[in-house]
Amino acid sequence: MIIAKNLEKNVDTSEGQLCILKGIDLEIKHGETVAIVGSSGSGKSTLLGLLAGLDVPSHGAIFLDGEDITLLTEDERAEVRARLVGFVFQSFQLLPSLTALENVMLPAELNGVSGARALAEKYLGRVGLDHRFNHYPRQLSGGEQQRVALARAFASQPKILFADEPTGNLDSTTGSHIIDLLFDLNREEGATLVLVTHEQRLADRCQHSIKLDAGEIVADDLKSVTAADSSITKDDQ
Amino acid sequence: MFGLRLLWRDWRGGELGILASAIVIAVAIVTGISLFAERLQQGIVAQSNNFLAADRVLQASAPVNPEWLAHAQSMGLQQAQILGFPTMVYTGNDVDAAMQFTSVKAVSDSYPLRGELNVSTEAFGAVTQSTDSPSPGEVWLDPRLLPLMDLEVGNTVFVGEAELTVSQIIVTEPDAGGSFYGLGPRVLMNISDIPATNIVQPGSRVSYRYLFAGETLELDNYGKWLEDKLLPSQKWLGLADVQPQISRSLERAEQFLLLAGALGVGLAGIAIALAARRYSERHYDYVAMMKSLGATSIRIMTIYSSNLLLLAVIATIVGSGLGWLIQEVFINVLQDYFEVTEVPSISLRPFVVGAVTALVCLTSFALPPLISLQGASPLRVLRRDLDRSGVSSAFTYGTGVLGIAVLMYWYSGNLVLTLAVLAGVGMTFAIVGVLAWYLLQGSAKVGMQAGSSWRLALASMRRRGFQNAVQAVIFSLAIMLLLLLALVRSSLIEEWQIQLPEGTPNHFLVNIAKRDVTAVEKLLSDNKMSGEPIYPMVRGRLVTVNQEAIKTWSEKTDPTVEGSVDREMSLTWSDVKPEDNLITDGKWWSVGSSAAEVSIEAELANRMEVGLGDNLSFLVGSESLNVTITSIRELDWESMKPNFYMIFPPGLLEQYPATYMTSFHLPSAEKRFLNQFIKRFPTITVIEMDAVINQIRSIINQISSAVELVLGLIIISGLLVLVASVQASLDSRFQESAILRTLGAKRQLVLGSLAIEFSALGLLAGFLAAFSAELSVFGLQEYLLDMDYVPHPWVWVVGPIVGAVLIGTAGYVTCRKVVNTPPVEVLRDL
Repeated sequence: MIIAKNLEKNVDTSEGQLCILKGIDLEIKHGETVAIVGSSGSGKSTLLGLLAGLDVPSHGAIFLDGEDITLLTEDERAEVRARLVGFVFQSFQLLPSLTALENVMLPAELNGVSGARALAEKYLGRVGLDHRFNHYPRQLSGGEQQRVALARAFASQPKILFADEPTGNLDSTTGSHIIDLLFDLNREEGATLVLVTHEQRLADRCQHSIKLDAGEIVADDLKSVTAADSSITKDDQ
Repeated sequence: MFGLRLLWRDWRGGELGILASAIVIAVAIVTGISLFAERLQQGIVAQSNNFLAADRVLQASAPVNPEWLAHAQSMGLQQAQILGFPTMVYTGNDVDAAMQFTSVKAVSDSYPLRGELNVSTEAFGAVTQSTDSPSPGEVWLDPRLLPLMDLEVGNTVFVGEAELTVSQIIVTEPDAGGSFYGLGPRVLMNISDIPATNIVQPGSRVSYRYLFAGETLELDNYGKWLEDKLLPSQKWLGLADVQPQISRSLERAEQFLLLAGALGVGLAGIAIALAARRYSERHYDYVAMMKSLGATSIRIMTIYSSNLLLLAVIATIVGSGLGWLIQEVFINVLQDYFEVTEVPSISLRPFVVGAVTALVCLTSFALPPLISLQGASPLRVLRRDLDRSGVSSAFTYGTGVLGIAVLMYWYSGNLVLTLAVLAGVGMTFAIVGVLAWYLLQGSAKVGMQAGSSWRLALASMRRRGFQNAVQAVIFSLAIMLLLLLALVRSSLIEEWQIQLPEGTPNHFLVNIAKRDVTAVEKLLSDNKMSGEPIYPMVRGRLVTVNQEAIKTWSEKTDPTVEGSVDREMSLTWSDVKPEDNLITDGKWWSVGSSAAEVSIEAELANRMEVGLGDNLSFLVGSESLNVTITSIRELDWESMKPNFYMIFPPGLLEQYPATYMTSFHLPSAEKRFLNQFIKRFPTITVIEMDAVINQIRSIINQISSAVELVLGLIIISGLLVLVASVQASLDSRFQESAILRTLGAKRQLVLGSLAIEFSALGLLAGFLAAFSAELSVFGLQEYLLDMDYVPHPWVWVVGPIVGAVLIGTAGYVTCRKVVNTPPVEVLRDL
């Protein structure tokens, strides 16, 4: 489902070029749940952004559902995202001027899918917010906002769900509820889940985990794709 | 559909308020001003055409080709005819019958085509208005003729051989001002009685006036058709020819209104740009999010540009309605001045102008910030620290300036005006920007200086040095435009009022016999009538220039000159130069000189191509008089004072029979003085110009009020810019205030510092605005409006005070919610 080959990401700074990621090879199969862990500044979010097609690597290739997205333009990548990808963010990223229902309807509306409202109502119901349709984000608690974000992510019925520190802004009890909800929904929808976290208990819920340090994979329990032969071998943990 | 919903949600979320109001105001200003200017112009022209008693007049010294009139008939133009001549009127054929020299005006039944006659059934009795003219066999008389000839309504008089019944008293005629040559009390009769008088013979001194009324386009076409058929003695006259003062005032007013309109739109444009910028900044993260959800940049652009278009349509409809309302209010306010019974109709053009304005404003001011939205990186959903890439400021400002330039040129059709205003605004931006930046650079202090409101405010101003400099430039530009309009307005109005100040002579006395001069002078001064000097007048004809016959000379120079000078002219003499005449070349003679010299009026000298040292020869009576030009004078023909083409030194003309003339001011309340005057000096002719002067004054008042109302409208858009500009800095203020209050700052401290900061910024902006307004007024008056520049010390006081109060208030009111929102809400949104 997701294959990354020899990824490298450099950025220009006032003190010269800075390498954020290097030599990243990985393969994630359909339906797998994978955690990317590491300390702050290890390159977790950068890797997530690259895998989701939100950014392009300096070198290397990324295949989503068999398509090399590094060869695509931003607009073409947007189409790939529309078709395949859903997101859950640490800071929820809800539009403040839209109600809970409207926020969930947004992806379907953007992609011209009919029945956006019914779909949104269904998913808001599934995250337990059927009584808060017309509330604005500022009228909701952090946990409720993240539930809206979950509903929005799943309402587009993505094949891959990327989550960036989904509990980072929540207390541990609320965070646990959100994690339960995320995994329950993911199981029901059968999507591939890639999440960035620095919480071990969240990483432990995933089938696999990749540990990054200073932009390099220092440990992973996935079968890696070597740059030399590109052959994929399966590692069953 | 989705875009529509987004627009609705933005509206509901209060995101579009300023942007939408700015577009609505721009459209309303333009539509309102165009509608109003159009109606005002139509109204004034219609009202002014009353001076002609028609829309156009064909003036001739002999009957014109009947085919011309038939052609006008076939074009659907209304027509009337006037025959004018001086003659004696008698009460009978007896030896002791009363007789009086009069000025006869014979009119056709359709006279007047425009305006009304004021008539009465007894001399100096109650006046009623009438659009009728005398029926055949009837005559209407000047009220003064009745006591002079001992007549009553119902009696008969003889005009030549025709005996006519006095049926009405004619108090004023609409076109009285035009018939300046009508010497003597008026006798109005029907043109069909003329043959019976047996007065008008070939060679008689008769003037013919053919009146026309109809659609402007048809009249213009007819004028063009006539153009090359006219002889030098025939003239096609419109308002501008007959009342140049009104025509010029109208032109200036229109230019001012357009300038004001363009500046108003410019201000609204700035508000649109600021609001659009804030809107796009607030939408930057939305777009990043939508992109992360799979929206392509084309989709984003489609959504936002169609939203913009929809907004333009809605704003145009609302703005047009508002514009219509505004001009209705204007017309109502001016109702007292509008003496026109039928208010002119509305054309579609102002609405088209409004719609195009909305479109141009949006494309040039709002589109660039929105285009920058498509550059939003979807990665921002993960990394908020990413820079906002987007359209360069140069492009944003460039399109804005281009948009305004296009609009201004389109409104005014005047490239020089457009470029001058743009250059002025550009210079202001540069100078004020540098000054503001320099003034805001104090010695930097560490920290927020949160000890007192004052220190907090000043530290905040310095910390935001660059943004504040930009804001000061925008503020000062808005204040500058307001001051500029106020300055130009007051000098325009003053200039108009100076043209005809209170006490302007409104009555001419001509045909004063030499023996009456002292008595007239005494009577006027006894009755405290301020008068001009009494000038002698000798009739004479210019026959040669440098020994060449005038006919040959004018063929060589300007053939139309012959028509002007080949007639009897009024020549005068004087020891001293008339007070308001200006010598442009040569010098005035010394007192007591009787050398053979003459002072000539500049315009005539120019047309005749004569100058100092040229020799002119006049025929006075049967004698010839040779003189050399020794000075050239400029004078104002519209000053309502005795003016002469030729002035001689005393001694050259004194031996010829002369009559005398003067002009004086008669307050309207003392009109009855004329009866006393006429009874005492029955041979002196009084020409009443007061009605014309009053009408010109009323028109000037109308235009002045209109200009003031438009200024009020511009102030609204100025305020909008202020609010939009304050709003632009609102987000960061929310954050700062929340943090300060979380850390224990009292509301009062934060609020006080906001008020101080904005007032100080306003003070600075006001000062800079005063500077640039003075500079622009200088440029405008010296180079564009052709007026003399006078410094205005008051703007240096008013500018900063207005700036501090307006911006302080706008800042305080807009930012009040910064301290009224609980800090926790703000911090949660961060």
